[in-house]
This record gives sequence, structure tokens and C-alpha cells, in this order.
Amino acid sequence: MTATSRFLPRADLDRFFAALAADGRRVIGPTVVDGSIVHEELGSFAELPTGWTADTAPGSYRLRATGLARDFDYNVGVTSWKRFTHPPVIQLTRGRRAGGQVVVESVQAEPPRLAFVGVRACELAALRIQDRAMRAGPLGDADHAARGDAALVVAVECASAASTCFCTSMGTGPEVDGGADIVLSELDEGFIVRTGTDAGAAVVDRLKLRSAEPLESARAAEQVAAVRDAIGDPIPAAGLPARLRAALDHPRWDEVAERCLACANCTLVCPTCFCTSVSVASDLDGVEGTTERTWDSCFSLGFGRVAGDSNFRPKVRDRYRQWLTHKFSTWWDQFGSSGCVGCGRCIAWCPVGIDVREELLAIAPLGAHEGPIPWPLSPAEGRAPASPASIAAATHVTATVHNVDFETADTATLQLATDDSALLAAQPGQFVMVELPGFAIPPISISRIRPDGLDLTIRSVGPATAALTTLTGGAQVSLRGPLGRGWPIEAAFGRDVVIVAGGIGLAPLRPLIEAIVADRPRFGAVRLYLGARTPRDRLFVAEMNALAGRTDLEVAEIVDRAGPTWLGRVGIVTQLFDHAPWDGSLATAFMCGPERMMQAAATTLNRLGVARRDLWLTLERNMACGVGTCGHCQLGPFFVCRDGPVFSQAELGTAFGREGL
Amino acid sequence: MTETLCALLTQTWFAADMPEDICERLSAIAEVKEYPAGAAVVSEGTACRELGVILHGRIALRLALPGVGEQTILTIDDGDLFGWSALLPESIATSTGVTLVPTTALVFDRDPLMALLAEDPEIASAIYPRVLVAVTRRLQATRTQLLDLYRAGHEPW
Repeated sequence: MTATSRFLPRADLDRFFAALAADGRRVIGPTVVDGSIVHEELGSFAELPTGWTADTAPGSYRLRATGLARDFDYNVGVTSWKRFTHPPVIQLTRGRRAGGQVVVESVQAEPPRLAFVGVRACELAALRIQDRAMRAGPLGDADHAARGDAALVVAVECASAASTCFCTSMGTGPEVDGGADIVLSELDEGFIVRTGTDAGAAVVDRLKLRSAEPLESARAAEQVAAVRDAIGDPIPAAGLPARLRAALDHPRWDEVAERCLACANCTLVCPTCFCTSVSVASDLDGVEGTTERTWDSCFSLGFGRVAGDSNFRPKVRDRYRQWLTHKFSTWWDQFGSSGCVGCGRCIAWCPVGIDVREELLAIAPLGAHEGPIPWPLSPAEGRAPASPASIAAATHVTATVHNVDFETADTATLQLATDDSALLAAQPGQFVMVELPGFAIPPISISRIRPDGLDLTIRSVGPATAALTTLTGGAQVSLRGPLGRGWPIEAAFGRDVVIVAGGIGLAPLRPLIEAIVADRPRFGAVRLYLGARTPRDRLFVAEMNALAGRTDLEVAEIVDRAGPTWLGRVGIVTQLFDHAPWDGSLATAFMCGPERMMQAAATTLNRLGVARRDLWLTLERNMACGVGTCGHCQLGPFFVCRDGPVFSQAELGTAFGREGL
Repeated sequence: MTETLCALLTQTWFAADMPEDICERLSAIAEVKEYPAGAAVVSEGTACRELGVILHGRIALRLALPGVGEQTILTIDDGDLFGWSALLPESIATSTGVTLVPTTALVFDRDPLMALLAEDPEIASAIYPRVLVAVTRRLQATRTQLLDLYRAGHEPW
């Protein structure tokens, strides 16, 4: 790294590009295409947007000739650098299924060796923020990490401010303070050059540049200081995360939803938004299958959709609130920073001109009354100590079907044999992603952990689960996992245990029940309350009957509807314990079932004295990646797949059962 | 005998926290009835002349659906009420109650019960909230069935 600033005459810009090429890099930089400045691969410095700037305003972007010879006289390009570190489409896996044998492999593309030229301070922050998001979780996104590591970043300090800029409020600019390999400050006659890394210094050293004169450096500093003054501080960011989550019921959400088209433009141009979906393709004979990851958006109607045609964010209001509260509030819980860098792209490229600054000031102004917040600020109350499981998220393990038991007409338990040590170390409550090449990849709870494999209990409700439930002995599936946080069994040591299961929710509770039964003396009274749709829909009937025959357990069951031959109970599951004589304050409760059922059960259990920190439940959300990088399963500050699916009621705050989150 | 009935009643959730004097005044107009399994304790659409509290047993509340047959919409157990329609002016039962197991109940004849409720506000204020609990349970069960919470819908996979 160079300790002193150097000076690159404008006439020598071609040498700078040549030095980047000599470093083995393709240059990605700004250029004018179809009336806008975008980032594309540049053949030479002559393709830079010399003499152009862009005037931006809510819903407006227009190029304007400046009459100056400057190359970087605009602020940010239309598209962000995530196109190159987090491409819109990448292939994830390729798989083959023939004669019942299954092999699925990850596809790791060789990252291109690129130089990003023209990265602004806010965009540098965005690269860092997205890097944290994509590297978070048990594994992180290997493709993103490789692409980021392979890139050389040449930042350019802003010399002017657009009307949509608010980097100053977000603390990301306009000064470039670090994070770049090379930093340029453009003056009329050339560039002040600083280096931030050895890689950057290696490129600059080839140019044999003279040192910058103090006056030149001072002019560059004055220039960026003027930008800071021009932007001002349009959003009071102090305390914004708490103010926003206290305003979840603000009427402005409805008002902005009337204007918002849910077109997703804001998330696509956003340099930090990272949400994706996975699409599956198969060849015509169903032998070869591939998966691709594509950009998606929390504004997409189906983004929060889960089983049973349920959609956790069906209204535009819900989705706008999700986006804004994630960016400015819950992002802090997840990644330790704001998710917004103040680049202003979402303002300019909103077709109806919604200005995020205006919305924030309306919804969460300084001094706003702070009501109860749905999620405690970090660290969350009652959160269990993190105990990372042995996770092999990117490893696709082939397991063989040993046996298939049909539990009901549409639900089967696959007994899978595997010797994979990570899978065999699965904890009760964890899940796996189950893949048959060519089919969608469902998350399936583990319903039994055996010394030589796992059981998965699967209800046939779509093509993939239909294919899985019709497998026979000897067939193979590909597994990724175990994933997520399981049941904290140790929290119930020495205490009474209450288990409430509804429908197929018994499947993830089954290994917990088995673990408790196997270690019975460590627990007080153990009570199981089981609900099902009809008598024919009850799971593990023989096992539950055997448990009911024990003297050291209490088992009660109820069905939602029944004919006259059913002599058991009919009604909702809370009916089994709503007048129970036991003291809930002595109990740790575990439950899984439809969220509405769990809400009712939680209310009843709380009334019986079960503390919110002692009530554990597993949530259903659209868990697509399983490791917290696709964004589908967010609930407030949580990624359900990574931070759950098991949560305490205390952790969830008032988010549990709340409509539209 | 009255003391014995009151003692039986207070063993259920229905009267667990009921003041003793109210329990005794109520029990004075009640009688214990034993029903074998399969007995109809109330019949849908007919006059409901008795309000009962289950002391021990289980009753299925059923509706008859043409072409489907009888469907159990709710079962009630110890401490639960049956025949609450007896407290309504029309006194027409809204479902059929059939015992699933031999069942013992404390039964109140409608006329003396209504007279007691009319003349004794303390008893009325003890009884009506408990009746509301019973009705609420019916409502919750109906809602749950309407939502069909456990159904298997179409999933993306």
C-alpha cells in the first residue's frame, strides 16, 4: 500500500486500464447505454461516460451533458455492482436420477477476475453489507464469496450530489474511508490516487505516478466535503430501527400501498437486496435435473407463500412494510448494520416516485411515540444459547430408502439409510432439504433419528412430495442438512413437559418425544396432547397408543371432525388441557402445528402458567435455501430456517401469529 | 344428599371455584343421572328440558347431514355443560348429544332452574359465565372446522 496519494493525469487513464488488464482483469465500469449510465465490461477508457451526468428525482432519471471532460461526474449507475458479485442467475446443482439411483452435485463456477471501476462510497458499503449477508449463517454463499474475493475494487469519490442521495444519513459516504483496493478522486486535470490494499498498490505501482501535490489533495477533499454539505442529513437515523418497529400499525403503510405497484424495481436496483428463488429444470425423460438460483424480491406475491396456499404477506402493504422494516430495522439484528446505504436508486427507479426518505419521515419521525415493539431489540429475550449444529449445507448426501410406511392415505414415512456423520448427528426439531433431480426441493422435518439413518414423514401435496411418497425400498434421494435449530431438550431437564402437536406437526416432535422417553428420569410429568383432522389422519397411531399405555406418560388426543364410530374426543386441541389441574409454571412446553392452532394453544398454556420463555414452537415459513441466504422465510429479525424453525414464544414477541409478517 | 351433590359438582372445573353457598343452592334443585353408552341426552330440534353438567363420562354433540350421516362436531367431558339451550326462551336443542361411554351427570330441570336464576342474581351471575364458556367452546370448535386447519393444500412442492 502507498502511504502517500499519487496523481494520475487524465491523459494517462489508458495506462491505468492497461495496468488492470496486465493484472489479468476484465474491467467493469460505467458507460452510457440507451440513455442511462450502467456498469458493463469496458474495452477501453474511451467508453467511460465522459461529459455526462444523471439528474435523478423520485420516479425520474435523465442523462444530461455537463460540458465538462470529467469521466465520473454522475453518482451511481442504474444497476448496482451486485450484478457481478451476486449475479441474477447462477446454476446451483446438477443431478441425475436413473434406476432409482440419485446423485446431486453442487456447481461451482470459476469466478471471473474482474476490476470494478467507479465504485462509490455508498456502493462500497453495499458490497460490504451484502458480503456480510451472504457470508452469514452456518455456511454462507460460496459463489458470492468467491466472486467478491476475485474482484479488485476501484472506488471513485463523489464530486457532486444527486437529489436522491442520502449516504450521509446512512453513514456510508460520500467519503471513501476504506474497503477499496484503489480510490480515485477526480479533478479536472486528472485523479488523486490512493491505495487501500496490496493488490491495489501492485497495480498503481506499475504506473510510476508522481505524488499528489498538497493543493491537489486539498481540492479533492474540498470537493467531497461540498458533496456532504449538499446532501445534508435528510433522514434522522438515530433510533430509527426502534421507531420503525414500533410503527408496524401506522396508517401510512396502507397509504403507501395504494401507490406502490409491487413491481420490485426498488429491490432489483438496490445494491444490498439479496433475496433469491431456486428454479428447477428437468430433461424430458426426467433423468437429468438442474437447479438455478435467480434474483427474487420480497415484493413478489408468492415470496411468502407456503404450504396449503397460505401466504404470509398477501397484501402490498405487508410486502412494503417487510421491505422497509427489514432495510432500516431488522437488518441490524441480522447483520449488525442498516441494510440501506443511501444510494437513492430505489427513489429514482420507482415508477410511481415513492421516496423512501419521505415514507420514513412519515412513518417513523424523530420523537414519534414509541409503542410496544413486536420483537425485542437484540439480544432477543429468552434466546437460547447458540449451539451450532454440525451442518453441511452445501453437501448433497445420497441416502437410500430402506422402508416406506404409509401413516395415512397421503402421508408416508421414508426410512432412509445413510452413513453421513452430519446427518446422523441431527438434533430433534431439525430439518433437511430433500431433492429428487427435476423436482422442487422441499424442506422436510426429521421424524426419527436412528443410528443408521433418518426417518422423514412426508405428506403428498404436490409433484415433489408425491414423487417422494411413492418411492420404494432401494430408491435414493439427495439430502442437504441437517439444518436449523432444534428443540432445546435440555431446557426441560428437571421440569414437567407438555407437548402439543397438530396434524403433521407431530412429525418434528416425534424425535423429541423419543429422546424424552429414552431419558425419562430426567423429566417430571410428561403430557402429550395430540390433534388431528380426522381419526384417519392421525400419525404414528401404534406408537402413540403404546405411549398411552405407559404409566409414566399422559397422552390425550382429539380430532377436528369425526363420524359416529369415533369414540374419542372431538374439538380443538386446547380442549384437552384448558381446564387442566397442573401447574404450568413448572412445565416446559413444545408444540408444532398450524400457526392458528399454536396461537390458541399458547394462549391456553400461558393462562395455565407456562412462561413465554418456556414455550417452544416450530414455525412454518417458505424455507427455500435452508441457510438464511435466500430471504424467503424472514419473520421480523429472524430467518426461520437458520434462527429457527424452533423459537421460544418470548423470542418471537408479538410477531407470533400476527397477520402480514 | 345436597352436600354430596355439591361435593360432586365442585370436583369438576365447572364449579371448582364456585362459592359453596351457591353450589349448595344449585345442587338443591339437581339430581344425578346415569346414562349408558349410546344414550341420547338431548336431541336436535326437540325441546330441551334439562341442563346437565357431566360429572364423569363423555358426550358427542352431533349434527345430522343428509347424505353424510351424523357428524360429531364436538365432544364434551367432565365438567362440561350439555343442554344449554334449556336456558333459551325457545329451548330447542341445537345438536344431538349422545353418550360415548357410560356417563354420570348432574341434571337441572329447566323450570325450577329458570325460576331460581330469575329470583337469585348471585346464582345467575355464577351460572351464565360458565354457560358462556360452554358456548364459546362450541364456537371455537366450529371455527376450527370451518378453517379446516389441518387440511393438506396445494404446496409448491
